[in-house]
Amino acid sequence: MNTRYTLPPRSPIAKNQDFLARLGGAALAATHETVSLFQTLLGALASPFAPGKAASAVCSRIATRQVFFTGFEALPLVSAIAAFVGATFVLQVQLLSGALNTEMVGKILVAVMLRELAPLVTAIVVAGRSGTAIATELGNMKVNDEILGLASMGIDPMRFIVMPRILACIVSVLVLTVYFGALAIATGYFVGTALGGVGVENMRAGFSNALLPWDLPLFVSKGLSLGVLVGWLCCHFGLKAEASPTEVPRRASYAVVMTLLACVATNALITLTFYWIVGPPVS
Amino acid sequence: MTTPPYTPSEPGITMVGVSFGFGDVTVLDDADFELARGDTAVVTGRNGSGKSTFLHLCAGLIGPQLGSVLLGGHRADAKHPSDLFRLGVRRGFVFQEGGLLSNVSALANVELPLLYHADALRLTPEEAKREAVAALERVHFDPSDFNSLPAHLSFGNRKRLALARALATRPTFFFFDDPDIGLDPSTANLIHEILCQHRDDPSVTMLVATNRELLIDRLGTKGYVLEDGKIQVRGADASHAGPSKA
Repeated sequence: MNTRYTLPPRSPIAKNQDFLARLGGAALAATHETVSLFQTLLGALASPFAPGKAASAVCSRIATRQVFFTGFEALPLVSAIAAFVGATFVLQVQLLSGALNTEMVGKILVAVMLRELAPLVTAIVVAGRSGTAIATELGNMKVNDEILGLASMGIDPMRFIVMPRILACIVSVLVLTVYFGALAIATGYFVGTALGGVGVENMRAGFSNALLPWDLPLFVSKGLSLGVLVGWLCCHFGLKAEASPTEVPRRASYAVVMTLLACVATNALITLTFYWIVGPPVS
Repeated sequence: MTTPPYTPSEPGITMVGVSFGFGDVTVLDDADFELARGDTAVVTGRNGSGKSTFLHLCAGLIGPQLGSVLLGGHRADAKHPSDLFRLGVRRGFVFQEGGLLSNVSALANVELPLLYHADALRLTPEEAKREAVAALERVHFDPSDFNSLPAHLSFGNRKRLALARALATRPTFFFFDDPDIGLDPSTANLIHEILCQHRDDPSVTMLVATNRELLIDRLGTKGYVLEDGKIQVRGADASHAGPSKA
């Protein structure tokens, strides 16, 4: 008799033990991953406080260069997206203008464009463009022993690699969010004027009425948080690559997917927290 | 730039009760190892026995799962790698392959540790550049390749570059992982000479992982074998008990 595929009968207790073991294993793995995730962030944030003025100077130069790649070089893409989003947004509102007061256009611009779309779309653009590059670069560095090479020379990878990238993502997302919001509103304003369907004065009035002093901290907190998330998660998951170059694209893709999820969730959470603290916006 | 002063009583590499493995594969199992400051040792072992991992552990590039590793009396896997450097523990590591920064030139690769530690080494940027050039010249690196990326260099030149980078900061602890494998005789000979110079330098503690008998004989120093998770003295005879340093 061929016994190769014959398994011993399993008792319900053994099945339960298997399930519990798997559950425990998954819980342990999740805990380990969470701890490791925060170790990366805390390690990076603490790294500039280690002694070494020369190291600070070297890392500052890297951060500046990274701001150029992440922020400045993303300007054409962010400009195009902001212009198209601003234009289509006002077009759609114009289609609804029969049902809406034109002053509402300005209010919707503030509520949707400034408070929600500008930070989120900017973070998505930075994650898609620079986050992928960061995760791939760090994954390749890990696989090629470059990270170990840095450590062997007494160079802290957290300070030299991770922190400048997190810093560059924060600066870039923050500045590009302001730029995105301004350009999208300007384009919307221009399209609204050109088509004549939206009352420009009403739109401006609605815009001024809807803009609150609280919008500034909301705007800054979103830019900061999403910037940290893009830099942090892309660096962390990029550095998770271990041995094989084929692992790098998989890690990079995972890094960007997780970053996008985290950005969308954080954006919603900040909005909810904001309205929970300051109350609903004045109409 | 000067080499940190040598004190004979200073500890070298100390490994106590170290266990390390990857999944089900055990590299070290409750292993002990000691190398006095200023000594040189060669580690051999069959392919896949974990010689590179052993070197990484000794250099503090990875932390042990159990036990402890001390370099010059300090925890090898320090929280910040620069902490060891500031404590006078300067590490030089020549990897079997890779380890060089792929997106910067050869010269920038060697200059980087000097610029990063410029305040500890008391170097100006100009002096750092001079030291980097001197290190490259010491390994006979072709000056026309100074601005080339590592990917554009031959394997032998990448090895020379890795050696120059490790030499640049004048390390007190030197680790070589298969330093002469795949090299032409002249490059291999150059590396052997540099290894012998460091073997004879009382301020340098050196650990070399290799299976090349030629190199082992040339170094003529203490030998260890990594086998079944333990590090043991190589052979019972004293043929590899090297000359003591002056």
